[in-house]
Amino acid sequence: MILAEPLQVAIDELSKLPSIGRKTAQRLALHLLKSDPVDVENLANAILDLKRKIKICKRCFNIAVDEYCEICKSEKRDQQTICVVEEVSDIVAIEKTNEYNGLYHVLGGVLSPLAGTGADSLHIKELLTRIHEENTTEVILALNPDTEGEATSLYLAKLIKPLGVKVTRIARGLPMGGDLEFADEATIGRAVLSRIKL
Amino acid sequence: MILQTLELKNFRLHKNTFIKFSRNLNYIVGGNGQGKTSLLEAIYYLCTSKNLLQSPDSEVVNFDEKFFEISGDFINGSGNKIRILYSLETGKKNIFLNEKQIYKSSEIIGKFPVVTLTQTDHFITQGSPLYRRKLIDSIISQASQTYLKTLMEYNRILKQRSSLLTKIRETGYPVYEEELEVWNASLVKKGSEIIEKRLEFINEFNGYVKNSYNEIMGEKEIPALSYKSTVSTIDLQNIASVFNENLQKRKREEIARGYNLIGPHRDDVIFKINGYDLKKYGSQGQNKTFQISLKFAQFFYLKDKLNKTPIFLLDDVFGELDSERIEKISFYLKKIGQAFITLTDFTNVENLNKDENDLMIHISKGEVKNVS
Ligand SMILES: [Zn+2]
Repeated sequence: MILAEPLQVAIDELSKLPSIGRKTAQRLALHLLKSDPVDVENLANAILDLKRKIKICKRCFNIAVDEYCEICKSEKRDQQTICVVEEVSDIVAIEKTNEYNGLYHVLGGVLSPLAGTGADSLHIKELLTRIHEENTTEVILALNPDTEGEATSLYLAKLIKPLGVKVTRIARGLPMGGDLEFADEATIGRAVLSRIKL
Repeated sequence: MILQTLELKNFRLHKNTFIKFSRNLNYIVGGNGQGKTSLLEAIYYLCTSKNLLQSPDSEVVNFDEKFFEISGDFINGSGNKIRILYSLETGKKNIFLNEKQIYKSSEIIGKFPVVTLTQTDHFITQGSPLYRRKLIDSIISQASQTYLKTLMEYNRILKQRSSLLTKIRETGYPVYEEELEVWNASLVKKGSEIIEKRLEFINEFNGYVKNSYNEIMGEKEIPALSYKSTVSTIDLQNIASVFNENLQKRKREEIARGYNLIGPHRDDVIFKINGYDLKKYGSQGQNKTFQISLKFAQFFYLKDKLNKTPIFLLDDVFGELDSERIEKISFYLKKIGQAFITLTDFTNVENLNKDENDLMIHISKGEVKNVS
């Protein structure tokens, strides 16, 4: 069957989304076709805004609407503690616990020679600059407790300790090899509260 | 742990085989290629979900057929039935524990400990260090989940580290050498844990091997195991610091070769009889006796550590042995409890000391001919 081109394009694009198959894409496209034009416009704008308005925080590499993310902008947050995580999703996981009130720093990955990720491709230099400029007193390393996370923590501790800053690591309450993202809130909460000095 | 019954469908030569086993010794007798070792292979599948001879599952399916099925009834705590069904069409192996499907073979590992003696065991005393590391790693892992986890982490570190060494060689950037420092630290940490655990194991295991060897050979020969490390040949008291020192010393060499040159992954275990190196000076008979002693020792070691009697599988243990040795081993086997032992037609059955509780199961062309 040959479909009108705009419909075909819409189906193609929708089916690129995760967990949307060909059939679902077709149903969604046909549904949109029947919908109120205002609703469709709102949806289209929301999707565009997502890309246009969301930026990466200049300070901590979290997602943000402005130059800085909501956490960095908040005056209520403890400005002298930085929690280092691998990905933005880890911030979401820790924030859900309501146990942490400092700032974050997203590394953007971990050291993995096999995957071609070296220290130069992570936001490590930026972290060191921040510690220096923001008078940070404590850096909490909240990387996943797997082989690569451990090596990266070691690497960071080596660089940060000489700066005279307290370096801690979240307690090992987390399941081994388990990602922060998938651990339950209570476990992460406990892990963040009881941290170990390195 | 006792295996009560075994049922096979389309398993190699066995189209349809059902056997009720003795709680004591089960001698499986038959000519070459009649399907006696297949019974051990099947029991090993039940215990580990893996193939004893490292054959692909597809090869095990009877010629002309599309699947194989193995079922076994164990007395294991509350009693456990294991069923394994492999389909040639899907290439999938389904495992059922008490008729409930399990999805990870790790769920049964350790629950059904098994000790095997096979034809390839001559590599343990005569082959490369790899076979000896494999032996001790598998024994320690069966007794300790922590060790297995450390071993897996260590292997991951090795891969990362050799990848980095290659990168340093290719680029020559000194920045990467800072990264190497942390992989060194990880390597030393996990590597030292492995070496410490192996040393502790060998220290304890020596007693078990002495006992077993003595049962088979008498006291005139004394066996011993010792650990030979690439980390240090003299001082293993402060493993971590020696390990670190030697890594620094050989840094250039490692970078030039892009290879992890020292660590437990390159270590060896040395077997000795009366102080002489078995590999260099041992006779064929001494090698065979040593291999058998190691497996008996493994059996008793695991039995003590796990508080559970492993399943003991011995493939043609009596081949190449004199009648005195056969008699000694057959007496020793009575201390095991249940065991499964294949025999060729040529084995001198007179020396076996079979009693009324033991079974002699005759196999021919994939069928049980008679049981006595
Ligand atoms: Zn921010």
